[in-house]
Amino acid sequence: MAYTQSSSATDPQSEDSIPFYPDHIRTEARVVAALIVAALVVGALGLAFPVGLGAPADPMETPAHVKPEWYFLALYQLLKFVPKTVGVLIPLLGLGLLTLWPFVDRRPDPSPRASRIRFVVVAILVVLLIALTIWGELS
Amino acid sequence: MTAIRRLPVLIGLTALVIAAAFLFLPLSTDVQSAAPGCEEPGPLAAGCGAGQAEMAALVAAARAKAPPPPPERDTCLHCHLAGAETGLWTPLLRWTLFGAAGLVFTFGVYRSASVWRTRSPWTPLTRRTAGWIDQRYHLSEPMAKILGKPVPRYALHWWYCLGGITAFLFVVQAVTGTMLAFYYTPTPEAAYASIQYIETEVRFGTAVRAVHHWGSNGMIVLCLAHMLRVFIMGAYKPPRELNWATGILLLVLTLAFGFTGYLLPWDQRAFWATTVGTEIAGSVPVIGDLALVFLRGGWDVSGLTLSRFYGLHVLALPATTMALMGLHFLMVRRLGVARPL
Repeated sequence: MAYTQSSSATDPQSEDSIPFYPDHIRTEARVVAALIVAALVVGALGLAFPVGLGAPADPMETPAHVKPEWYFLALYQLLKFVPKTVGVLIPLLGLGLLTLWPFVDRRPDPSPRASRIRFVVVAILVVLLIALTIWGELS
Repeated sequence: MTAIRRLPVLIGLTALVIAAAFLFLPLSTDVQSAAPGCEEPGPLAAGCGAGQAEMAALVAAARAKAPPPPPERDTCLHCHLAGAETGLWTPLLRWTLFGAAGLVFTFGVYRSASVWRTRSPWTPLTRRTAGWIDQRYHLSEPMAKILGKPVPRYALHWWYCLGGITAFLFVVQAVTGTMLAFYYTPTPEAAYASIQYIETEVRFGTAVRAVHHWGSNGMIVLCLAHMLRVFIMGAYKPPRELNWATGILLLVLTLAFGFTGYLLPWDQRAFWATTVGTEIAGSVPVIGDLALVFLRGGWDVSGLTLSRFYGLHVLALPATTMALMGLHFLMVRRLGVARPL
């Protein structure tokens, strides 16, 4: 019982809630429509600026700069400074810790202070990640 | 009574026989032309009453002499799709226009006849369909429960959209990815050329590939944004531990989609990025070599790597992702949207 929502939000008669259909669905339909338009715009832009294709793959010839996609650039840059084994273990352990985090941080603390702390931690991590990514891109 | 019941069967059988007769008509005209002189009396008329074996021999001889002309058909229907043929719009417009007109006309006739026969006002098709299904599967009660579920008003805030947008992007990726798979060939000899074909020949191929490419990037960005939102708001705390865990798995799957999809164009970037990436996976302690060989299908990146990345990208990863997404949504539905701060 403690895990269900507070009653005011789930009570149909409450001022704090709206029915899933049609109110919530309508908002979602609007978002979906906007996204479809965005996808069409991307497609139209893609006609003008194609994604393109590099030279065909050649296992005999290693290009000068091999870089992964941008979302792996931070890891790629990290691997330049730490031994390979450590560099691989850091993201793996990070993911493991992240998965288990809800079992560590169990205390329900809705205070703004707790969320501010989390925000600062996230901000530092994100800035670090972005910095590593940009560094990897430029190097 | 039974005679009336059998009437539709009889009519159907008759229609079948007539249809079969029409099907065999070309064949029979062929036979007639093979046995000339049946109509006119003369020395050849004897061939008319000949046995079946002789007839077959005559047919074979006629076939050998003059092969039947090939059936008439649009020689390049696929060119319309591939974009090589420019005359697509007129037939498309014609079909759409006359097709729509035909549908409206058929519906009008049916509606008028139905109103006249039943002597009762017309019920909209949507309500008819709903009633027809509900009669059989009794869906209206559970549907009312699902659709009527109250949602907290704060769930309309834009940052609660991030996860939903990611899910929508997954649908976009599935659709555009299927379109690309129609033309893509996952072999080292043909992959590059098939992407070139998509980029240059296929109608709107460039656009579809662009949407797929940028959609994948957007999906990763939105996945991360959604995760940050959940983390900052503390929405991962009990009772939502498993929502969070499946979310992390979904992020890993999204990254795996990006990693496997990156190899598919089989250009230099793709090949060497995969070489380096799988090498990194190979430096994991203990299971490194195993992971490397599993990913590459051998010690080197080869055609085997390409086909297994393709298999992962279009079969294994989508199936796993859809299952996990279903779980993720079910759990969100069950526990509701976390309260904002």
